Amino acid sequence: MAATFKRLGGNRVRVRLGLEEVALLRELPEQLRAVLADPTDDPVNERLFPPAYLEPDDLERDAEYRRLMHDELVQAKLDNLDVVTETLARGAPSIRRWTVDLTAEEAGAWLGTLNDLRLAMGVRLGITDDFDGEFDDADPKAPAMRLLAYLGWLEEHLLEALSA
Amino acid sequence: MSTTAPVRERTEEEEEIVEPDIPWVVIVWNDPINLMSYVVFVLQKLFGYSKEKATRLMLDIHHKGKAVVSSGPREKAEFDVYRLHGHGLWATMQKDR
Repeated sequence: MAATFKRLGGNRVRVRLGLEEVALLRELPEQLRAVLADPTDDPVNERLFPPAYLEPDDLERDAEYRRLMHDELVQAKLDNLDVVTETLARGAPSIRRWTVDLTAEEAGAWLGTLNDLRLAMGVRLGITDDFDGEFDDADPKAPAMRLLAYLGWLEEHLLEALSA
Repeated sequence: MSTTAPVRERTEEEEEIVEPDIPWVVIVWNDPINLMSYVVFVLQKLFGYSKEKATRLMLDIHHKGKAVVSSGPREKAEFDVYRLHGHGLWATMQKDR
């Protein structure tokens, strides 16, 4: 966990990442893109795009909400993923580090993507109790749990920089 | 309770046209993944709430399982739900009663 986020003037954020973190943040968005592009009833999509209405009387309204809003919600997430990929690509390498300065808007896209990645992982891992970053190393899911905890750590630090 | 006012029965046509002016509430439900700090951040960003108010709502969501985060006419509530969904919060809306 080498990443640092530093608030610059004009609500910009300077991100410094280890090279293995850069590789991870290049790979994970591809996986989420694949899920978002899949029109089948993937449980990840059910979590990312929940119903707006729950009451039985409102089922028609919910269908209408989905019809009008679903594509826009998907597109906004894809746009966020693109920003992460594009900003990573313009980063500058130094010894074992990668530095990229984000505008406030780009930092918001990073935040959205980190959160979406975590929501997707939470569904895949079947997490139903509040996840506090603790897990059993002997659990076969431990590597994925470690990744989830890492992404949470990353998101927490980005939030701190944005709120600074 | 009784009333002396004349009671007029609504016709079916009126029932269809007149949508009763019941406010809608937007509810955010607890989920195991979203960070507490993230929920506070999103509520402040979307609704302009103070940090104190956003934190109070987040704690309600966390401890009680859900909280009403906004209310208003159906169109406004739906827009709020849309923005919350855009930020990964588990939001729904229903008539306030």
